[in-house]
Amino acid sequence: MIELKNVSTVYDDNFMALDKVDLSIADGEFVSILGPSGAGKSTLLKLLTRELIPTTGEVVIDGVNLATLAHEDIPLLRRKIGTIFQDFKLLHSRTAFENVAFALEVVGAPQGRINEDVPKALDIVGLADKAGNFPRQLSGGESQRLALARALIHRPRIILADEPTGNLDPVNGHDVVQLLMKINELGTTVVLVTHNRDIVDTLSRRVVTMEKGKISRDQAENGKYII
Amino acid sequence: MLKEKLGRVVRAGWNNFRRNSYVTFGTTGVIALVLVLFLGLIAVNFLSNVVVSGLEGKVDVAVYFNTDATQDDIMTVKSDLENLNTVAEVTYTSRDDALAAFKARHAQDALIQTSLSELQDNPLEASLEVKATDPGQYASIVSFLETHKLRTTIDKINYYENEAVIGRVQNISRSVQEGGLVATMVLAIIAILVAFNTIRLTIVNQRAEIEIMRLVGGSNWYIRAPFLVEGALYGIFAAVLSLAVWYVGVGVVSPKLAVVMPGVSLIGYFGGNSPQFVLLILVVGIGLGVVSSMVAIRRFLKV
Repeated sequence: MIELKNVSTVYDDNFMALDKVDLSIADGEFVSILGPSGAGKSTLLKLLTRELIPTTGEVVIDGVNLATLAHEDIPLLRRKIGTIFQDFKLLHSRTAFENVAFALEVVGAPQGRINEDVPKALDIVGLADKAGNFPRQLSGGESQRLALARALIHRPRIILADEPTGNLDPVNGHDVVQLLMKINELGTTVVLVTHNRDIVDTLSRRVVTMEKGKISRDQAENGKYII
Repeated sequence: MLKEKLGRVVRAGWNNFRRNSYVTFGTTGVIALVLVLFLGLIAVNFLSNVVVSGLEGKVDVAVYFNTDATQDDIMTVKSDLENLNTVAEVTYTSRDDALAAFKARHAQDALIQTSLSELQDNPLEASLEVKATDPGQYASIVSFLETHKLRTTIDKINYYENEAVIGRVQNISRSVQEGGLVATMVLAIIAILVAFNTIRLTIVNQRAEIEIMRLVGGSNWYIRAPFLVEGALYGIFAAVLSLAVWYVGVGVVSPKLAVVMPGVSLIGYFGGNSPQFVLLILVVGIGLGVVSSMVAIRRFLKV
């Protein structure tokens, strides 16, 4: 359960990125967040990964107010949340396998678990046969699916996808969204930030529209791309 | 499990260290320079202690008796001296002992040996060597002897201004050590700054990795530790480099120094205590490296 209660975020230059936002996302929901640049979508995601704390209000995940989280508990929160981005954020000097394994290495997972879990994650995203390829040898769609495999490796409860189809052609974009749907069907909450009208319209799920730091529309079901 | 984690961290640190070889070389070199200077300070301290303790062990006043002075007279003067609380020790050397010592000292010199054998009588005088409780007390001992009732049996009184010489040696040593300490500190700060900048460079170069580590929930310790390992590695390599340079240098200088200062073995001192010095230099080197990493991590690594 994700809850934003009366959340405002003001940056150092006095820019108000979020203005008294209330938002509640239930477990297992698939929510698309729309809005023009500067609407506050990225700030919202940063609040959820505890990169930022709100200037006022509360961000609560599974009953825990993130502002009260101890410094050493932040990594534990981030293991519950998988994140993917428009620019994939892959390590170019590592193979597909190693990119996914990296996420397990940094949490101190034993090699046995790495050897067992990484192929499974690659299999879920359809990259089992590309484990030895470097990111430069993968297409855009494959790179994003690799990033998704990495995001899935900790079996997260929530997936945050920040414009994951922004750099992809429609076919590859569609594949990635299908994967997100599949992951959502297995019970993972998905928060998708996107500009892609076709994707939002075909998803027919909840759509939250933001403008100037506020939620201007919240279509609970069968939402459409309306700005 | 812990071994595996530690292995990964050390490997990551080693890769950081190895990857920018030129910068690594410079950083290691600067830390090594600080360590060599530090060893130099230890050497100066050792040498000045040797010189001072050598001087402190020396006789402060030597009293030579006329050749016709009787042993009784000499013993009276000796016991009078021993009763003074400014006197620590009085050593008697009889005329025969003096001659024997003289002969032994010049055993290789045929001319002296022949000259001595041609003399009818022993030309050497009996003497008392007086060690003061405090080297500064030689003047009161001399004036006591000058006014002694048996002054006429005394041929000459030699005194040595050991205190003044000790003072001078200590002053020189103190200035060298103070100057050296300041230089070492300044250089240590420069070394920390250089190492700090190198580690900052690594942090900047690894922005992508660090961002991903944070993203996937890498523990703070795991993100930071490789940079601490990197800092420690600069210290370890600098320690090894400085110790190698130092021991080779001491090996070259020590025999030459022994000519000027007989009985002083720099190589003996540093060789005999090598485990302690190796440990000390390693600890100081690693300390410098780790402090630099900690400053860099604090300033530039957001976790």
